[in-house]
Amino acid sequence: MECVVQGIIESQNNSHYMRHNNGVRLQHVEALQILLQGLCGVPKERVRVHELCLKSGPNLGVVPSEVRLLCDLAQPTPSWTVRHVGGAMRGAGAEQISVLVRTIVESKVGHNVLRFFYSLGYKLDHELLKEGFVFRFQRGAQITVTVTSANKMPKLYATDEAVPVTPGIQLVEITAPAAAENYSEVVAAVSSFCEYLAPLLHLSKPGVSMGIVPTAAAAAASLMSNSGAKTL
Amino acid sequence: MPVKWLMHWQPNQGVTLTTQILTEACQCVESQLGGAKDGRWKTALTYYRPALREASASGDLPRELLGVALHDQLGSYYFLLRAHRLILQADSSMQALMDKLQSYKPRVVLNFEGFQYRLGDFQVRVGKCVPSSEVLRGIMMEVEYLPLSSIEKSRQILEDFFDIWQDTVKKRSLPGHFILVEPNFADYGLQDHYTPQHTAVQYATCMTQLMAAVRN
Repeated sequence: MECVVQGIIESQNNSHYMRHNNGVRLQHVEALQILLQGLCGVPKERVRVHELCLKSGPNLGVVPSEVRLLCDLAQPTPSWTVRHVGGAMRGAGAEQISVLVRTIVESKVGHNVLRFFYSLGYKLDHELLKEGFVFRFQRGAQITVTVTSANKMPKLYATDEAVPVTPGIQLVEITAPAAAENYSEVVAAVSSFCEYLAPLLHLSKPGVSMGIVPTAAAAAASLMSNSGAKTL
Repeated sequence: MPVKWLMHWQPNQGVTLTTQILTEACQCVESQLGGAKDGRWKTALTYYRPALREASASGDLPRELLGVALHDQLGSYYFLLRAHRLILQADSSMQALMDKLQSYKPRVVLNFEGFQYRLGDFQVRVGKCVPSSEVLRGIMMEVEYLPLSSIEKSRQILEDFFDIWQDTVKKRSLPGHFILVEPNFADYGLQDHYTPQHTAVQYATCMTQLMAAVRN
């Protein structure tokens, strides 16, 4: 089980740059990074993940199924993980909270996992290259904040030729592992952490996009000036 | 990890398999070879079959998928597609993931379980193969030579052990004998350096041999 919220933040696109009063160009993503660094006190880690989404073939399975194969390319030796994202928790209680609680099953696997699932009768639905950074820390729960841009490949598996799907926009995802006994505490921990990021971005349940925060530019400028603004 | 060989009991034609063989084999290890009992062990092999929406149209889907949970690799799980000569190493959580997918369903579980013994540099495990119905399906052994991880380098010493073992068993005039069937590891892309995947492949081979022996 995990608790998750998502949001989007602008980056790199010229129209979304803002000018600091001493003429330094700023990015919202950089500001977010500074804020996270300050809040977590841990260094960021690089993210470079090749994600392959597979779906069951037409006749396979009582119900259609979907599985994600994640190849971590940020490490010197690529490593693979299989992930199944289950349904979200439902009911009146689940609707009242601002965090999505869903089942998740993951397993580290050998490098031949793609061949394995193809042999089982799964087909490639789509693939993405996710690039960015992640902060992992303990704050009432084991929280992971991932900031990535999604890139598509012009050719199958050609991760070196990937181009952004949504230029100028990055996805921010906050997740924390939870269990049936403690998910309400984890939800509280995630919600309270989200409040720190509120000036920069809206965080909501996946699939319920709240768009970009109007105060983001001012908040970013303030953060950058306080941290001794970096020149791009 | 140390090299391990699996052997299984081949009963003589027309002889019914009983747990007496298991008792005798354990006695051989203890009294003749001087093995010291060192606990129990259990390996589980699960048969998965594809769940099809239209049973008649299986197409080119594999008819079986084997899952192996080895007694000495508790956090790991191994999937074998024998028709594709493919073995996948995964965490034990992969079983829960397969449950979620509902595309391949576990049909039969075979448990291999028994006692383990220490004999100097060797670790020997003698066990029975029992499905959930508890009907005895076979007797088998694991012989592990602890100092070496190279299959080729340990071959001679394991062959010598096997010869001594055969002679020991022969003296008891049991209605059958132990057989060693070495799978072609290279088919699965496995090298000379022994890994848990080698063991999982051996269990799959051993299971096939046991089923064939019972049918005969």
